[in-house]
Amino acid sequence: MTPDSVPLLEVRGLKKYFPVRSGLVFDRKVGDIKAVDGVSFEIHRGETLGLVGESGSGKSTVGRSVLRLIEPSAGEVLLDGRDFLAVKGRELRRLRRRMQMIFQDPFASLDPRLPVHAIVSEPLEVEGGIGRKELRERVDHLLDLVGLDTGSRNRYPHEFSGGQRQRVGIARALALDPDLVVCDEAIASLDVSIQAQIVNLLQRLQEHFRFSYLFIAHDLSMVRHVSNRIAVMYLGKIVETAPTEALFDNPAHPYTRALMSAVPVPDPDIEATRRRIILEGDIPSPANPPRGCAFRTRCPVAMVRCSQQVPRTLEIGSGHFAACFRAAEPAAPP
Amino acid sequence: MTALLDIRDLSVAFDTDEGSVRAVRGVSYSVEEGEVLGVVGESGSGKSVHALAIMRLIPAPPGRMESGEIRFDGQDLLSLDRRRMRDVRGKRISMVFQDPMSSLNPVYSVGFQLRETLRLHLDLGRGAATGRACELLELVGIPDPRQRLSSYPHELSGGMRQRVMIAMALAGNPRLVIADEPTTALDVTIQAQIIELIKELREELGLTVIWITHDLGIVAGLAHRVNVMYAGYVVERGPVRAIFKRPSHPYTVGLLSSMPRMDRKDAGGLRPIPGRPPDLARLGPGCPFQPRCPLADDGCREAMPPFDETGDPGHHVRCWKWPEARAGHDGGLSLDA
Ligand SMILES: Nc1ncnc2c1ncn2[C@@H]1O[C@H](COP(=O)(O)OP(=O)(O)O)[C@@H](O)[C@H]1O
Ligand SMILES: Nc1ncnc2c1ncn2[C@@H]1O[C@H](COP(=O)(O)OP(=O)(O)O)[C@@H](O)[C@H]1O
Ligand SMILES: [Mg+2]
Ligand SMILES: [Mg+2]
Repeated sequence: MTPDSVPLLEVRGLKKYFPVRSGLVFDRKVGDIKAVDGVSFEIHRGETLGLVGESGSGKSTVGRSVLRLIEPSAGEVLLDGRDFLAVKGRELRRLRRRMQMIFQDPFASLDPRLPVHAIVSEPLEVEGGIGRKELRERVDHLLDLVGLDTGSRNRYPHEFSGGQRQRVGIARALALDPDLVVCDEAIASLDVSIQAQIVNLLQRLQEHFRFSYLFIAHDLSMVRHVSNRIAVMYLGKIVETAPTEALFDNPAHPYTRALMSAVPVPDPDIEATRRRIILEGDIPSPANPPRGCAFRTRCPVAMVRCSQQVPRTLEIGSGHFAACFRAAEPAAPP
Repeated sequence: MTALLDIRDLSVAFDTDEGSVRAVRGVSYSVEEGEVLGVVGESGSGKSVHALAIMRLIPAPPGRMESGEIRFDGQDLLSLDRRRMRDVRGKRISMVFQDPMSSLNPVYSVGFQLRETLRLHLDLGRGAATGRACELLELVGIPDPRQRLSSYPHELSGGMRQRVMIAMALAGNPRLVIADEPTTALDVTIQAQIIELIKELREELGLTVIWITHDLGIVAGLAHRVNVMYAGYVVERGPVRAIFKRPSHPYTVGLLSSMPRMDRKDAGGLRPIPGRPPDLARLGPGCPFQPRCPLADDGCREAMPPFDETGDPGHHVRCWKWPEARAGHDGGLSLDA
């Protein structure tokens, strides 16, 4: 294997179960919420992997497990081929700073008592070995990169609009020159016109620094726009992965098709002739997922077999994987 | 067709520490019986306040109706006394909000709340109210309606709660339903269910709907006509095809070019609108979009233009420069200065 073929991040069989407890006197574990249940994917250097799925499908838990903000229950997370879950102490801190997160709500993720320069310089100071003057220059450079003028360095998070706060969060995430940035619904709470500003910024920064994104979002349109590849999650599992255009040209999993068909398109002529796949009901509870294929209870093309066996993930095209017994069948004509 | 709702020169202001904030500015439009009007705009553009004004639910103080006339079915709503206005709410016009949890009472069952609403509006007895409550839950697509009557709001999913809210809104047999971002908190899959439901109900019951949203995509598939709001003004209004095919306000043009499209491969990058919405307490006399607008000149800074006709029937725009904006849409107007 050549060094280039080792992905930046490789996740294998990742599981995160949260205990379900009950009982007033004796706190007993009565089951598991299988938030993430055997997820595998890889992200290459400079690549953006989009992760989509309804809320509750386990996307945030994947992101937080990969960064070890929570400890996974099982599985492997390899960074440059090294086992990130096995490292401890100094080595853990060293590897951890290579992966950063940008959250949905910049207000909740930024310390309201700190001025912007302190928020951005904090990771650098924790790192140490950097002089006062250099620290100041680095912070000003970072603020400049994200489009905030240096006059804002002494202001506090509440003095900023949502979009500007998100810029502060981005500057902080980039302070330590990470290799992977996990964006968890990073633009979801912003207005449409501001979303485009932030996404363009994220893309410019990636071109400049060549880091990778795990781009978690429920907005399929934006995910199509930013991702090289996309993974679709349902109830703790990845049901389909493919290069972006392959996924949109030929969505194989009925869940992927339903998600795509639910997204409204800003064109009345197209909307008037579109055939919608309306899924029935809601995503089931991960504490009690359906037997067999987890999607079968809402699947418009489910068969008897789907309730008896769990479909294996098969490669149905180059780099295009799907976990469905019927994935090889062509989609119904539009 | 006749106008069911007719609004003239509606202005609403709030008295705040930073001075008077005019949240709705000279809004005029009408809604025909049986149609869906989409109201789009970013947060803070006055969508919710204008809807609350129609319902006469603006908290005063700090709110104040500065001007306006609201005629519903020929009746002047602003001249009604409180009791008669209460009759209008729920029985003739009702609202569905984004967050059902803030409108539903967590300590009462769904059935209890529906029955109370029914008894208030329709003067039904207990038995009849229960029967009608079941029918309503069935109408909005809730499975096992009889069992669901004893459910509490927290036992329902977000989508189911929103269906219950729609059932409550329909309890008084209103003619107009104002839905304020009813699907914003829901997943797209559940949003698609709710939109489908609203389409069915409109056909079945002949409802007239005002659908407020920040999502242009929803409006494209649902609305017959569209109002685009910015900083309290309706800046463009017209039939849905005109708005999307020949957008004529630079803000509408900018919104459309800053949205990625799920249905097609990217034709280059997104073209965001620079800057951000203005602080309403500090608006000058000119067009509020002018600081973000690539076409703006001195005239735009001096005065807000009146509505101009674009030539498409029913399509109006408040912009001095709309022919350039419209041409820019076709040629890919770059707002990203
Ligand atoms: N700390 C936790 N304790 C218990 N359950 C959790 C916890 N975090 C997440 N979950 C559950 O795990 C599932 C997946 O959640 P999440 O990863 O947040 O999904 P998504 O980001 O796709 O919306 C949900 O059912 C959620 O309720
Ligand atoms: N009770 C209030 N007091 C003061 N200002 C208010 C009040 N309600 C709304 N506003 C202001 O009115 C403007 C329009 O708000 P709103 O109609 O809720 O916007 P939208 O629904 O388009 O997001 C905002 O600037 C908001 O801050
Ligand atoms: Mg999440
Ligand atoms: Mg609102």
